[in-house]
Amino acid sequence: MTQGLVQGVPLFQMSGISKRYGGVRALDGVDLTVEAGRIHAVLGENGAGKSSLIKCMSGVVQPDSGTMALDGRPIRFPDPAAANAAGIVCIFQELSLVPDLSVADNVIIADPPRRFGLIDRRRQRQLAEEALARAGASDVHPMALVRDLPLSRRQLVEIAKALARRPRLLILDEATSALTARDVTTVLQVLKDLRASGMALVYISHRMGEIAELADDCSVFRNGRHVASFEAGTRSDAEIIEMMIGREYSHAYPPKPPPVPDDRAPVLEVRRLGWAPRLSDISFDLRPGEVLGLGGLDGQGQRELLLALFGVLRGTTGDVLVEGKPVTLSGPSEAKSTRQGIALIPEDRKTEGLMLPMSVGANLTFASLDRISKGGFIDRTAESAAIAAMVKLLAIKTASPDLPVGALSGGNQQKVVIAKWLMRQPRIVLLNDPTRGIDVGTKQEIYRLLRRLADEGAAVLLYSTDYAELIGCCDRVLVLYDGRVVRELRGAAITEEALVRGALNIDVATTQEEAAA
Amino acid sequence: MTQKLEPVPARLRLPAGLRRFDPAVATAFGCIVALLLVGSFYSRSFLSPEYLLQQFQVGAFLALVATGMMVVVLLGQIDLSVPWIVTVGGMMSTAAAGHGAAGAALAIPFGVLCGVGLGVVNGIGVAYLRVPSMIFTLGIDAVAQGLMVLRTGGSAPQDMATPLMGQLATGHAILGMPNAVWVWIAVGTATVILLGRTTFGRSVYAIGNRESAAYLSGVHTRRIVLLAFALSGGLSALAGTMLAGYSGKAYQGMGDGYLLPAIAAVVLGGTSILGGRGSYLGTTAGVILITLLQSILSVVQMPDAGRQVIYGAVILAMLLLYGRSSRVGG
Repeated sequence: MTQGLVQGVPLFQMSGISKRYGGVRALDGVDLTVEAGRIHAVLGENGAGKSSLIKCMSGVVQPDSGTMALDGRPIRFPDPAAANAAGIVCIFQELSLVPDLSVADNVIIADPPRRFGLIDRRRQRQLAEEALARAGASDVHPMALVRDLPLSRRQLVEIAKALARRPRLLILDEATSALTARDVTTVLQVLKDLRASGMALVYISHRMGEIAELADDCSVFRNGRHVASFEAGTRSDAEIIEMMIGREYSHAYPPKPPPVPDDRAPVLEVRRLGWAPRLSDISFDLRPGEVLGLGGLDGQGQRELLLALFGVLRGTTGDVLVEGKPVTLSGPSEAKSTRQGIALIPEDRKTEGLMLPMSVGANLTFASLDRISKGGFIDRTAESAAIAAMVKLLAIKTASPDLPVGALSGGNQQKVVIAKWLMRQPRIVLLNDPTRGIDVGTKQEIYRLLRRLADEGAAVLLYSTDYAELIGCCDRVLVLYDGRVVRELRGAAITEEALVRGALNIDVATTQEEAAA
Repeated sequence: MTQKLEPVPARLRLPAGLRRFDPAVATAFGCIVALLLVGSFYSRSFLSPEYLLQQFQVGAFLALVATGMMVVVLLGQIDLSVPWIVTVGGMMSTAAAGHGAAGAALAIPFGVLCGVGLGVVNGIGVAYLRVPSMIFTLGIDAVAQGLMVLRTGGSAPQDMATPLMGQLATGHAILGMPNAVWVWIAVGTATVILLGRTTFGRSVYAIGNRESAAYLSGVHTRRIVLLAFALSGGLSALAGTMLAGYSGKAYQGMGDGYLLPAIAAVVLGGTSILGGRGSYLGTTAGVILITLLQSILSVVQMPDAGRQVIYGAVILAMLLLYGRSSRVGG
C-alpha cells in the first residue's frame, strides 16, 4: 500500500459490480476506473445508482457480484473500516459529526493518538489543526463544539475528518449542497490542491457548474447502469443531460383530459409561503380537477412544502387560502377537518403512514374515526362497512381486514395508506412520492386512481422523484430548486429535458419553454 | 388476474376472538394454576373459596393501579409517580373526611380528583413539554411526597377514613363478594370498553405502535397522552382512598408497595413495555399472578428481602421470554 504508483495501473477499478436490494436492482454490472491525481465526477438522476456505487466503494455494502481492484490487486471491503484502512474514505451527504463533541474529537474520532492507553489530547489537537488547515478551515477552533458551528463550517470539518484518515481516494457525495457560494469556492480550491498532491477524488454533485470547473473525468449513470465515461469537456451539457435521462418509458399512464381552465376558482392558493431556510417565496394555485406535480432534485424543499400545507411545520410565513379563505393550519387534525379537507399521503409508509402491527381495518379507519363514531364510541357496523368499501375500491389484496397490515406486500400497504385518506373524501390530496418501492402493477393502479380523483373534482399535488411519473401523470409541474419554485411547466412542455434543466437550474431557455411560458 | 397473497401465519387464520388470545396471557393463567397447585401441597386452604376471595379483595387495590399503568404503558410511556399518588389519594380523602358531613360525602371524589390533577401535570410534562416520562413522573412522585410530608409534618394524619371508604374496601354488599372486587370488575369492564370500543382506545394503541403515523393521521396525540396519565393518576388515587378505608386511615408510604407489582402485572400480562400491544385480560391475569405470588411467599414466611428478589427475578425472566417471542412481522 505504501509503494508508489505502478505505471499504467489505475488506482482503483470496479468491474461488473451488481447490487440488489430486495427486488430492486440498484447496480447492474457497473464498471468504473479512478486514476490517482484526477477528479472523477459521477453524474446521474435520483435513483441512478450513484449512492449504491459509493457505498460499494467504501465498504458500507457488499456488492452481490463483480470485482474491485486497488493498485491492480483484487480487494474486498467487508466493512467501512477495511476501506478506510486501504485508503478509501467517503464523505456522505448526511453529516456524520457528533454535535456535542469538539471539532478535534470529531476530526480524530476513528483513531485518536494514545499515550499510556489514554487519548493524548495535545497530539490530537495538533493533528486536528493540520487536517483543518488542509481542508481550508483553519479559522475553525479545534476545541469548539460542532453544534455551535454553522452548517457550512460543519461541512468543512467533515472534509477535515476525512483528510485526517490520510486517504488515497476521497469520495465526496454532494459535499457542497449545504454550502454558501464563498465556502464552495474554498472547497473547490481545497479539492484542486488535494488533486495536485496526487490524491484521487470521486465527486458527486448535481451542480453542473462545479463539475465543469473541477472534473477531469466524468461517468454517467442511469437506472443502475453505467452509461458512459469520458474526459471532461468533450461533451456538451445537453449531451450529458440526454445520457442522464435516456429515452425509456416503461409505465403506462392514463390519458390526460384537456387542461383545467385558468379561470376556474382554485381550491388551494399558496402565497409567498416560506419556512426558513428550506422554503422561500413559494406561490401557486391548485384547481379542482388538476394534478399538479412537484419536480426537482431530491431534497429541494418538496417534502417541506407538503408538510407545511398539512400544518406539520411550525413557524411558516406567507398565506395559504382554501377556497378563497385564509386558513391557519395548526396541525394535521385541523388540515384533515371537513372545513379544509386536506389529506397527506406521507413519504414513508412504515413509519408515517401505518401502524404495522395493527390490523388492516384499524389502519384504514384510523384517520376517519370521527366519522364512524358517536360520542367517542366506535360504531362497529359503520366501521366494517367503511373498511369493506375501501378494500373493494382499491382492490387491496388481504385475506381478512383483521390481518396486521405489516403482513401485506409493499404495494398493498401503500394502497392502505391511500385508502385511509380517500375514506375522508378530501378535496386536496397531497402525495409524497407515493410509488416509491412498489411494483409496476400497483404503480399503474395508483396513476389511474389519481386521475380518477381529479376527474371527480379533487385537487392533487404530487411530489415524485421519478421524472417519468411527473410527465405521465401531471397537468402542470412546478420545479423546485433550493426551496424556491424556479420553473412551471405545462402540458406538452413537461419533458424530461425541461425537468432536468429545471432541476439543475440551468438557465438556458429553449424556444419550446418560451412558447409555454 | 390471479390473487397472489402473502403467506399468512397459522395463528392469524384463527377467528378474531381466538386470535386475540395472546400466548402471553395463556402463560400467565398457566402460572396462576401452577402457583395454586404448589400452594395446595403446602396447605389445603389455598384452594378454598374463602382464601381466593380474600386474595381478590387484596388484589383489587393492585388491579386499579395496574389498570392505569397499563394504559400508560400501551402508549409506550411509564408512570413512576404511582406510589405517592396512591398516598395522596388516601391522605386527601381522609383529610376531606375531617370536614363534617359534606366533607365525608365528598371524600372519595376529592381524593380521586387530587390524583387526576397530578396525572394531568404528568401528562403536560410528557406530552407537551416532551420530558421523558421516566424522569418526569419520578419527579412528580418526589413532589407529591414532599407535599404530603409538608401537610402532615411527616407523621400519620389523625383523620379517619369515612364509613363509605371502609365499606368499599372491606364490605360484602352484594352476593357475598367483597365490594373491592366489584369495584375491580366495574373499572375492568369500563377499561375493556374504553380500549376496545372507543376512539380513545384505538388512538392509545396507535400512538404506542407509531406515534408519528398517529400524528400524521390527524389524531390529537398529545391530548390522548395527557388523558392517559390523568386516568392513571385518578385510578391510583382511587386505590389510595380504598386502601385508607381498608386500614381505617392514611399513612406515610402507604403506596410504596405498588409500583413494582403494578409494572410487573402489566408486563406479565403480555403488554409490550414498548407500547402498542396488550390486552386487559392479560393485565388481570398479571394482577392475580402477582397477588398469589405475594400471598404464597408471605405464607411460607419468606422474608421481605427474599420476596423482592423473587419479584425482580420473575419480571426479568418474563421480559427475556417475551423479548424473544414478540417479533411481529413487518
